[in-house]
Amino acid sequence: MTSAIDVRDITKIYNPNSNQPVKALDNVSLTIDDNEFFTLLGPSGCGKTTLLRLIAGFEAVSGGEIMLFDDEIENLEPNRRPVNTVFQHYALFPHMTVAANVAFGLERLKKPREEIEATVERVLTLVKMKHLADRHPNQLSGGQQQRVALARALAPSPKVLLLDEPLSALDLKLRQAMREELKQLQKETGITFVFVTHDQEEALAMSDRIAVMSDGEVQQIGGPTDIYEHPVNRFVADFIGDTNFMDGEIVGFNDDLVTCRIGTQSMFEAENSGAHKIGDQVTLFLRPEKITLSAVDDASAADTRPGKVANIVYLGNQAAYTVDMGDGIELIAQARPREDGKLPFTLGDPLAVEFSARALRVLAQ
Amino acid sequence: MSDWLPKSAAGKRWLGLAPSYFVIGIFMLVPMIIMGVFSFLEPNPYGGVKPVGSFAAYVKIFFEYDLEDQLVFNPGYINIIFRSFQLSFGATLLCLVFGFPVAYYITLQPENRRNFYIYLVTIPFWTNLLIRTFAWIIILGRGGVIETPLLATGIIEKSLRMMYTDGAIAIGLTYSYLPLMVLPIYASLEKLDFRLLEAASDLYANRFEVMTKVVIPLCKPGIIAGCLLVFIPCLGAFIAPNLLGGGKKLMLGSLVQFQFASARNWPFGAALSMLLLSAVVIVLIFYARAAKNRAAMEGSA
Repeated sequence: MTSAIDVRDITKIYNPNSNQPVKALDNVSLTIDDNEFFTLLGPSGCGKTTLLRLIAGFEAVSGGEIMLFDDEIENLEPNRRPVNTVFQHYALFPHMTVAANVAFGLERLKKPREEIEATVERVLTLVKMKHLADRHPNQLSGGQQQRVALARALAPSPKVLLLDEPLSALDLKLRQAMREELKQLQKETGITFVFVTHDQEEALAMSDRIAVMSDGEVQQIGGPTDIYEHPVNRFVADFIGDTNFMDGEIVGFNDDLVTCRIGTQSMFEAENSGAHKIGDQVTLFLRPEKITLSAVDDASAADTRPGKVANIVYLGNQAAYTVDMGDGIELIAQARPREDGKLPFTLGDPLAVEFSARALRVLAQ
Repeated sequence: MSDWLPKSAAGKRWLGLAPSYFVIGIFMLVPMIIMGVFSFLEPNPYGGVKPVGSFAAYVKIFFEYDLEDQLVFNPGYINIIFRSFQLSFGATLLCLVFGFPVAYYITLQPENRRNFYIYLVTIPFWTNLLIRTFAWIIILGRGGVIETPLLATGIIEKSLRMMYTDGAIAIGLTYSYLPLMVLPIYASLEKLDFRLLEAASDLYANRFEVMTKVVIPLCKPGIIAGCLLVFIPCLGAFIAPNLLGGGKKLMLGSLVQFQFASARNWPFGAALSMLLLSAVVIVLIFYARAAKNRAAMEGSA
């Protein structure tokens, strides 16, 4: 597979000559495949938007190379790069109609009039905005402006479409609907999408692959399940989804499982990941949904552990339980409300807590 | 609609606005009415007017009496008016050419420095226009700042004769009113969302197209306001034309001033002023109509 974008050892330093240089990106390398929905995910200030702006050409790199389908582009002006951007706040031209906004890029490329008209109609149909082609942006709702911004960026048929948190300004329902549509649009157009977001749910729902970033570095690159189930470090595990962490020490090995001591005397077996030896300080991580809670008297198997409900957060379709496991260990777990809508356990209830050793993973500290 | 307001409240609101109506009336309407009335009276050769109605002042703009006492068309004053428009237009254009980059540059500065630059733009207003215009005589005049070094180094052999030309007047007018161009353009550029510039360049617009397709259309209100603020006072200006034009090349403003100060023909001066006023009103009507069309085009959601 050819790579659409190849980022090689990119470094970006803001104010390099001042007494307070800010390193936004530190030796970042990543490869984005052709026809891929690729997401840059991370908290604000992690450098994800900076990387996108470097690809678009709004900022100059401090070091490294950016290849676009084997062409070196990092020194080109933005208007010479065959990529288009969907901006976070849309940045539609307020003095032009929707159709004129969409035609803008094509006009700059000096396409023939008939082709421009045909393309504008096609992309506006694609984003379901054809009926509003004569409106001005200030007559549109946020969601409609979003669609126009998309159409405008798609119209010149860019080799890569860059999306800078395009859904962040929309309300929840619309955001969820747009997720589906964006994913659909990517498949239909076959254009490589590079999507920047801080919303891990959005990233998991839409991406073919995700690069998790923090502090100007790429922490992990992989598919959504990889990132969620096999995070390489504590940052990734913590940033994606809810997680239980337990700090402890490796005390033994048992086939491909490791035995860890948590707290003073609690022993947990966990799936090994990487080279560890006895005495290593490690963090175990466990997703809340991997934990099954049951009342003490229904508990069937022997490999349950005793616990007690320490706190309940009601979330509607489920409740998050904080379970006191003794020995200073607390785990977050989930349980669904019963059919009558009541929660299965109340504060202080004794519980049987069950989870597989395969669900527990070892992260280096 | 204020139908829901009780009558007494509406009445009180009028009362609250009364001082401003009063001020506008005293300082704007009354002088204008006086001017209008004077323009229809006969001049008193010793200054002031005689309370006798007459259209003579308006007739004098277009016609004169020849030796046989026949009324014939006289293009003299029309020419002055035409020249005034030409020079004002030229000065406005120069102000735009110099003022826009200045305003744009200031907008690009960090926020804390912008106010300082704006403050610098207003510095010329601190001293009298007359004195500042005299300074231009020293700059442009024979043996002045520009000529002396050029003559001394032999680049030129005789005086450039820059003074007392239309060029000198245009420079003087440009200098006088440049801040009035910079400030409104800055005001509209400052509101410009600079992400739109990124969006334009992302969509393959080169630097020139970013300017012509995005920046200039979006700060058009500021540009128009600046042009009006420069053009209108230029039409009525008399200091720069008198000092730098030598008083031989009259402009409308100097002509009016001359009627009141030296020629003692107040009605004629008033009539010329009324003509100037109507010209300005016509320009403003065009502006208002353009602004209205623009608003209608962009809609208001």
